[in-house]
Amino acid sequence: MSSLLAAALWFASLATAAIHLDVQGTARLGDTPEPDVVVWLESPALSRSMDSRRTVLDQRNLRFSPRVLAVQVGTIVDFPNNDRVFHNVFSFRDGKKFDLGLYPIGSVKRVTFDKPGVSRIFCNIHPQMAAYVVAVDSPAFAVSDDTGAFTLRGVPEGSYTYHAWRAGTQPLTGSVTLRPGQPLDIRWP
Amino acid sequence: MAMKSLVSVICTCVLTATATADAQSFTSELSVVTGGSSEEVAILGTQARLFGELESEIRVYVEGAWATRSDAETDAFGGAYPYAGRLQLVEAYAERIVHGSRWLAGARLGRYRTPFGIYSRGDHAYTGFLRAPLIRYDGYYGLSNHFLEGGANLIVGTPSVNAEVSLGVPQDIGTAVRRPGFDPVVHVQAYRGSLVVGFSHLRSKPYERRSFARGQMVFTGVDVRWMQNGIQLRGEYIAGRPFDSVSTDGWYVDAMVHKPALGPFTLVGRVEDLDYEAGRRSAFNTRYTAGGRVQLTTAIAGHFNVLHQTEPLANGKKTGIDVGLTVTLRHGW
Repeated sequence: MSSLLAAALWFASLATAAIHLDVQGTARLGDTPEPDVVVWLESPALSRSMDSRRTVLDQRNLRFSPRVLAVQVGTIVDFPNNDRVFHNVFSFRDGKKFDLGLYPIGSVKRVTFDKPGVSRIFCNIHPQMAAYVVAVDSPAFAVSDDTGAFTLRGVPEGSYTYHAWRAGTQPLTGSVTLRPGQPLDIRWP
Repeated sequence: MAMKSLVSVICTCVLTATATADAQSFTSELSVVTGGSSEEVAILGTQARLFGELESEIRVYVEGAWATRSDAETDAFGGAYPYAGRLQLVEAYAERIVHGSRWLAGARLGRYRTPFGIYSRGDHAYTGFLRAPLIRYDGYYGLSNHFLEGGANLIVGTPSVNAEVSLGVPQDIGTAVRRPGFDPVVHVQAYRGSLVVGFSHLRSKPYERRSFARGQMVFTGVDVRWMQNGIQLRGEYIAGRPFDSVSTDGWYVDAMVHKPALGPFTLVGRVEDLDYEAGRRSAFNTRYTAGGRVQLTTAIAGHFNVLHQTEPLANGKKTGIDVGLTVTLRHGW
């Protein structure tokens, strides 16, 4: 009897469990595929893990890599200096404000992006170096590649509000219901 | 012999260390600068650069420059490039750097700026100052910003303390071109917090003709940098001789302020002094510079400097104004 009950419960849980999707999409500006677009989803259904996360915004060959980095709020970003010259990474206009001071090759400084927002990152010594860190309050986010393509991984099937950001234009917001095989296309007019 | 062996060992270790980069990436950059000074000089210059990294983690840097000006008697706009009126190769090198959290080693082979004190292009080209420090201008018997080395530049140490050794021959551009000969340069640098302190020594051949300038060029210098909260202070003291029987010593202190309240403006100020002791030909000068840099767009920056010095400028006056505009276009692959 107990085995029968367990089996019934297992089947019931399968029936109610959300299907997790890898949502693929393309970001475009008009008809042109657009790289470096940050796309993220918003829904109460998305769980927000409190695990500490860590990623890297490299300084190499006098540029930041990647040029656009998307992180979930709470992520620690390492800023290693892999150039033979000194760098001084700072951000003081929007988003997270910080100034890491002067530091040489082989050194790493860290910043925790603890609130949502777009931070414009510069080097005080090399004015041509610029990058963006986009901190989002969602575990479902992606950055489009050179072909404008992006993938939001492990997203439960359902209805969401989506957001899209690219440098220099107004962010886009909309509603979408995600089902298996359905792409998410982002387009600025 | 021991030095030669050490160089071979470091080069071999650095160049054969395991590469981890997953893709090559390159950037091309074109800078065009134009400007004018109250010294009745106008300039036009351009620099083209290609730099990046191969899959083997070997970095490559190639830079050429062309620049001309209406009057050669002034040091205006002489920050990091000469005004020869012809296309010149500036730097061309390949380098490999490997490091852990507590060690660092690298080798640079080719043609590169003399690693003495604060020497990189980025430190002297259009950072808000439109003239080189007096002690680093090639017309004042100091240590020219246009000095280049052809050879091997090795760096070993830790991120906090490291030593750089250049073993090569002069490949200078500009008006001060040193005579051929072995040309060792040593630069030791220590870093703590936001403070960087360096010590440099160079021994080379003079750039004046042999009948006029005998012996060796020898310079020793101390450089200091500090930067925090948008304020950068830096300076150098350099002393030595451009050839036997004369001496040159000089220093400069730069302040650069880039605070949120200033928006696109960076304010700069410099105090500097140069003493050239050569009997009847001696020259002494103290200069004060104030100005700024304004980032007009991502690609365009304007610069303005007002300077006053104790000795007359090329136009006979002691105060001058320089204004410049730089356009920089960048493309990454």
